[in-house]
Amino acid sequence: MKATRSYKAQKVLDRMGNKLNRQMVASLAACVHCGMCTDACHYVLANPGDPTYAPAYKADKIRKLFKRHFDWTGRVIPWWVNAKSVYTDEELEELKDTVFGKCTNCRRCSINCPMGVDYATFNRMARGLLVSVGIMPEGVAVVSKDQWEIGNQMGVLKEDYLDTLEWLSEELVDELGDPRAAIPIDKKDADIVYSINPREVKYDPRTISDAARIFYAAGANWTMPSEGWDMTNFGLFSGDDDLGGAVARRLYEKVEELRGRKLVISECGHGYRSTRCEGQNWAGYDLGFEMESSVITMLRYIHEGAIKVDKSRNTEPVTFHDSCNNARSCGLFEEPRELLNLVIEDFREMYPNRAENFCCTGGGGAMSMAEYTPLRLKSAKIKADQLASTGASYVATSCHNCVDGLSDLIKHYKLGMKVTQLVNLVAEALVIPEKEVLVPVEKVPAVSAGPLDGYKILVVDDEPDFVSFASAILEDHGASVVTAFDGNEALEVARRESPDLITLDITMPGKDGKEVFEAMRRDPALESIPVCIITGQPELRKLIYDRSVPPPNGYVDKPISEETLMRNVRKILEIKQKVKK
Amino acid sequence: MSHLLHFVEHTLQEVALLIMAIVYTGRLIWLMHYKAGKERQADTGNGNTSPGKGIIYSWFNVAMPWAMESSRRKIFLYFQFVIFHLGVVAAIGLSFVIPYGPHLLNSETLVLLLQVVIGLAFLVGLYRIIRRVSNSYMRAISSPDDYFSLVLLTVWFFFAFWAVPNNTAKGETILLIYFFMTAFFLIYVPFSKISHYLYYPFTRYYLGKTLGKRGVYPVKHYPREVRG
Repeated sequence: MKATRSYKAQKVLDRMGNKLNRQMVASLAACVHCGMCTDACHYVLANPGDPTYAPAYKADKIRKLFKRHFDWTGRVIPWWVNAKSVYTDEELEELKDTVFGKCTNCRRCSINCPMGVDYATFNRMARGLLVSVGIMPEGVAVVSKDQWEIGNQMGVLKEDYLDTLEWLSEELVDELGDPRAAIPIDKKDADIVYSINPREVKYDPRTISDAARIFYAAGANWTMPSEGWDMTNFGLFSGDDDLGGAVARRLYEKVEELRGRKLVISECGHGYRSTRCEGQNWAGYDLGFEMESSVITMLRYIHEGAIKVDKSRNTEPVTFHDSCNNARSCGLFEEPRELLNLVIEDFREMYPNRAENFCCTGGGGAMSMAEYTPLRLKSAKIKADQLASTGASYVATSCHNCVDGLSDLIKHYKLGMKVTQLVNLVAEALVIPEKEVLVPVEKVPAVSAGPLDGYKILVVDDEPDFVSFASAILEDHGASVVTAFDGNEALEVARRESPDLITLDITMPGKDGKEVFEAMRRDPALESIPVCIITGQPELRKLIYDRSVPPPNGYVDKPISEETLMRNVRKILEIKQKVKK
Repeated sequence: MSHLLHFVEHTLQEVALLIMAIVYTGRLIWLMHYKAGKERQADTGNGNTSPGKGIIYSWFNVAMPWAMESSRRKIFLYFQFVIFHLGVVAAIGLSFVIPYGPHLLNSETLVLLLQVVIGLAFLVGLYRIIRRVSNSYMRAISSPDDYFSLVLLTVWFFFAFWAVPNNTAKGETILLIYFFMTAFFLIYVPFSKISHYLYYPFTRYYLGKTLGKRGVYPVKHYPREVRG
């Protein structure tokens, strides 16, 4: 009896033929099952004895389809070469768990394959096939939708983006006492158009202001675009070349519209790879301008004497984590080390490194796939061991995904390390000479008393120590603080007090923070109140990526410093520092 | 020499080679009808890398056990790979030497050399069979073709080892088995995993081209230490 095939399964097979190119076919045909790739994969090393994580085993889940439908032997005697077709949606779901949940497309197995089989390439193809029929982790769907519809993968609205830049810009002008320190928006004919990751706007604005500080110190003719500013590209992770092409084209066209001479890409592994190396291929687009990583820009500034740095300002031992996309797919591994050695005193190499480095385990879109978080953290043991053996206090990386991935595993394995980016270290080491001020601005303290005057903030956390700590800081800055120690109380106080901002812990007795957050977002009386998640639980990323309600307005990891708390609170409330005239 | 042995040494081998050549040609046409992906972007990485250098490095990667962590850390597997493949070359070469240059086997040194190489390859074949059967990772990725190809080659090595002296005075059975197996091997190879060497230049070419363009190949820095 002829087996029937589901509509989706048929579509996957139909589309597979269109996706295959010569590189993929050779890779799919060439595997000899020698097993040399096995130990190259962090999933295998963290799950000893389970062969289902072996790269060749995972690759065979895709290869069997290829063999059954495209390869001669598999079409004639399928059982002989383990060729199999796919018939049901359940089988496609199982394939999804392999290609999304058990592989970060880090390409480490590819460079360890004696045959040169590039598993990561056809794993991405398989992701794309599944995505084309709507089978994907929910987080991937949400993020892809945001990037298609809103233009960036975190759904940052244009007004929020511009408000953040304005706020950062004013802070810089105040701090440096020079109006030329402002962040230029949509400036035509700039030497540099600077593109960023939306995570920087939403959760890490310091990286933007640090970069702006460096451009200012270098006297750069630079700008940031008001639109098309997102250099990340979820098409790389989802395997959706159409999305990849559309996102890349949006950025390229903006640079050309501004007549920018060079596109500088902030520190993001997949963003750099997508924009610099893959986007033109997806979009079928030939560029009239150059592109480079901000790491190379900063290094050049130092070499050319455009900026001066003092490495004695960074004395803590620092190691460097190579992002897979930067190192293994774009060859960006010497420049970050050279830069680090110019701005820090104590560099500790991590082994293995460069193109052989292990994935942070948050790559390939894994941070957006909350359902695989336990597996991700388990597989992170390899990276945790690597980090711990360096003895460093900081791990620097040139990738926002890696920042999140490393932060999660550092918490999970209690390593006590901090994660930073090169832009932060360069900014810290930056020596800004006194400059002539065109418009005199009176020097004022960085933080004036009472910037939160008139604001009511609800602090929700089951840890009394934390509530006391946060309340004291917020009250010191002028806020009126109300508190709650569990979920039910949080909802009750929020409804009663109508605060201007809620800081919310996730793990609490009774209703946990996730339930409270969703309840708030669904309650017409509370839905517009900004919420800043403050937690030590990485699982909360489900709220950011895998959501049925609008995401939180801010997200801060514990432990938290006064500076970080205030920076995020001020940003969310869009408070400008009050400058005493 | 019997008519049968003459037939299997000449006509049968020639027919088998012709079939293999036809199937391989078909395989290459099939592969080439898929379009190669195009890379539009400018090169990345330092100036010491390029697509051309990447391709050369990638092709000769097989001769550089230090180039990959997998071969560095499993040097025993690397050397048994070398021996196994030298054995294949020797056993295939033997199928040409016996019919077309039997006088070469008058050299005891050459006979000894071939027997040593093929004998070691046979032992490696036995080790590989044991590894494929006993190692759960290897079992999980193995198909009937993987087992059959390995057993086929190992048995073939066994008979090739005894066929090397090309001594018909002691009977033709060994030579007949060796040449029948060689013919079967030649016809079977294009349909099996053993044909991987046909794809090797392509997979390595494209990986080398991509990683060369992106500044990864040739690898200049290898870790001074590796994970324990």
